[in-house]
Amino acid sequence: MTHLTMEQLLALREPGVEPGTASQREHMEACETCRLELERLEQRSARLRALPTLRPSRDQWPRVAGRLNAARRQRRIRWMTAGAMVLAASLALALLVRRPVPAPATASQQELTSLQQRSRALEAAIDAYDPDARVLDGRTSRVAADLEDRIADVDRRLERTELAGPPGLNGPDVMQLWQERVGLLDALVDVHVTRASNVGL
Amino acid sequence: MDSYPIANAESVVARAQEGDAAALEALFRAFEVPVYNLARRICRTTEDAEDVVQETFFEVCRSIGRYRQDGSLWGWVRTIAASKALMRLRRNKYRDTDELHDEVLEIRREDTALRMDLEAALERLNETSRAVVWLHDVEGYTHDEIAGMMGKTPSFSKSQLARAHVRLRKWLGEEVLG
Repeated sequence: MTHLTMEQLLALREPGVEPGTASQREHMEACETCRLELERLEQRSARLRALPTLRPSRDQWPRVAGRLNAARRQRRIRWMTAGAMVLAASLALALLVRRPVPAPATASQQELTSLQQRSRALEAAIDAYDPDARVLDGRTSRVAADLEDRIADVDRRLERTELAGPPGLNGPDVMQLWQERVGLLDALVDVHVTRASNVGL
Repeated sequence: MDSYPIANAESVVARAQEGDAAALEALFRAFEVPVYNLARRICRTTEDAEDVVQETFFEVCRSIGRYRQDGSLWGWVRTIAASKALMRLRRNKYRDTDELHDEVLEIRREDTALRMDLEAALERLNETSRAVVWLHDVEGYTHDEIAGMMGKTPSFSKSQLARAHVRLRKWLGEEVLG
């Protein structure tokens, strides 16, 4: 007598009717060996399901959280770079529209330009430090993420102010926002670069 | 390491979808053990299983906004974990070792059947067979679903399962036939 193969025995356990299973069921009724084989197969599967749950020996959350923070930071830096380019373009456009004839720069315009230059220099310093390639402890990582959140918020407010157009272009709001941005970038440089020099990274 | 009941995990989904860090950690705490268990049963080493846990939850946290609650949360997390574990197997391209083990066992068999513990027998299967056995017999995936995750056909999944059971039967000393 030809007995059922393992694949045929397994097919009998599957829901639904597969081609050939009717004749295999008939064989099963007549063959004690195959019935015993199927029973052992069921028992083996039950024993597999009853194997103990394996547990991790160490906490993986800090590593997951670290990767999430790094990904967030990368997104923010990309956003900040794009935001700065939009701001620069809208400023240039506004200046062209408002002042077709070049006029002498006022003190406030000079201060604004100086703040923007300082902002670019600080961003370049952060880029050069390449924070995404560094490992930060949890507390430093949170401080850096908080500063980046606040910078992104300033950028959003700057964008809204710029889009609203004159007369706020060189007004106190814009100046104040750029000062805030430079202050936050200064702090972010401190967090990354000063820490790096302290620990010799 | 605090755990968080799986039954309560659904209640933090809305906050997790808004990026709430505590809610994301609560999801991790709820599912870290079953995800690790699945990963460790499929992967060869604890290091690989830990990597799968990290990759799974990184993906869960990034994609939770797309979870629509039309199936169970555990089912959604489990499918991500299974896919990551299978991806890890493909990446590592482990050598199929059960053929070698068979040869060794035949030499050592002599007159008495060599009986192995089920854990050891499962561990001895090659990665693909072990993954199929675990996903089908324990996690309850169908051959169609396993084939989809592995990028293979349902027939491949069926033959791997049959092959695995033939080997387990032999190694456990449960042969009835012949």
